[in-house]
Amino acid sequence: MISSFRVETNRMTKRLLAAAAAAFLAFGLLGTTAAQEGHPLKGSWLGEWAGNSVHGDNILLILDWDGKAITGMINPGTDNMPLTKASLEPNGWLVRLEAEGKDKDGSAVRYVIEGKLENLELPNRSINGTWSSNKGRGAFTASRQ
Amino acid sequence: MKHALRIAIGFGVALCASLAAAHHPVTAKFDETKRLDLRGIVTNVDWRNPHVHVFVNVTRDAGVIENWAVELESTVLLKRSGWQHDTLKPGDAIEVSGPAARDGSRQVWGERVLASATERQVYNLTDTGPEAPQAPRPTPRGSDGKPLLGVVDGSGGYWAYPSSTVLQQAGANVAMNADGVLARISDAARVAPFQPWALGLYQHRQQRHLADDPGFLNCKNPGAVRQFQSPYGVQFVEDHARQRMFVLVGSGNRNYRIIYMDGRSPTGQVQGDDDNPLYYGRAVAHWEGDTFVVETTGFNEDFWFTNGGLPHTDQLSLVERFTRPTFDTLRYEVTITDPGAYTQPWSSGWELKWVGGEDLPVYFCQDNRS
Repeated sequence: MISSFRVETNRMTKRLLAAAAAAFLAFGLLGTTAAQEGHPLKGSWLGEWAGNSVHGDNILLILDWDGKAITGMINPGTDNMPLTKASLEPNGWLVRLEAEGKDKDGSAVRYVIEGKLENLELPNRSINGTWSSNKGRGAFTASRQ
Repeated sequence: MKHALRIAIGFGVALCASLAAAHHPVTAKFDETKRLDLRGIVTNVDWRNPHVHVFVNVTRDAGVIENWAVELESTVLLKRSGWQHDTLKPGDAIEVSGPAARDGSRQVWGERVLASATERQVYNLTDTGPEAPQAPRPTPRGSDGKPLLGVVDGSGGYWAYPSSTVLQQAGANVAMNADGVLARISDAARVAPFQPWALGLYQHRQQRHLADDPGFLNCKNPGAVRQFQSPYGVQFVEDHARQRMFVLVGSGNRNYRIIYMDGRSPTGQVQGDDDNPLYYGRAVAHWEGDTFVVETTGFNEDFWFTNGGLPHTDQLSLVERFTRPTFDTLRYEVTITDPGAYTQPWSSGWELKWVGGEDLPVYFCQDNRS
């Protein structure tokens, strides 16, 4: 009876400490995201386009707004794929991004990312949806850094 | 186990204290459609900015005692209406009515607080600022003949009590409260010539009752027009020798804005900082007759530039025109140009009252924060 009580309290202790650590980590991460109260897409976005066998699962997205158009680049410094088209529909906060890159053989890969901008009010808001190309498709998620 | 519990409880208490202390527009935290009437005994008066709290023990039908927090305005605003920390004391019986907290916690906005013993309403705001003299005093002028925007002969004074605390394009006449919360969200498009995304973001902020305002949540500076909307006022200090005007800001965290009057370009400062956009931007000014004309660019996007949650981008530029038609009146007119967020330039304006013989009240946004 006593030993089972000890096991249970040890488990609770670990859970509490893990929860506290996770909470501190979450608050720490929130604190490192730069505030951005202007155009909601502007900034650096980090995420995944799952199952992308050509350019890997991880994606870095740099987006900007010049007052007329959304511009940006996918994986700057490595794949350097400029956006060829980008839009944000405020009614539902729907995002559509198009970009063109090349695979290892030099063949064109045309990407379309469609998603919804979520947690608009937070600095680390996110885009969740899908990606597709002439080479594959999958789930897309990215959060603003 | 006890240690772990202490950590968890301590963390929880700190978090709750932080949330409870956060400054906010009233409607962000309290729901005006959910009204409460309470009777109870005061247990404590927490006399601190940004919001004073009176804690009250309320006895329910079954004899169960609940402790409620009655939230009030800042110490500065309450003092202006003649109230003190000891206007109510522990043990006093009070009656409270006002909107309840949106999150269902035991908090109520103290719209009406009545001391039961005297039936006297307390902690209400009655102050409307100094009355201007019946015979307007003439505009004070410096030795160069230009109007003085700040103090005269070393006496104290500052500008406060703005006739409007919200921003909308001239002639729009959209109904909104003093925090900029729209009476009807369907009026949003009339407030300013928004680009579609900016209108969507403005509506989103309105639908959330301005709860995400970084000026309140994170004490971000009241840059751009917002410094002239604050009840805590501004003070102009002119440095003739260095050809600069300083605007001391009574809200936020009592910081200041520099306006250069030495003919420099509005972009870049002495060492150049074009790549470092600022909360108060880069401001240069000149006189046009009796009007002090300030042009400001170089704002960052880390703050709300006005009460009410109208968005801006780093393309924001302002032309502000200050006149002092009488000793006791400052006229503020602003033209807003931001091709990143608005389809065309738009203008607004209001007046501020001179509060003579005093310096800016001591108000720090970050007081009472854990």
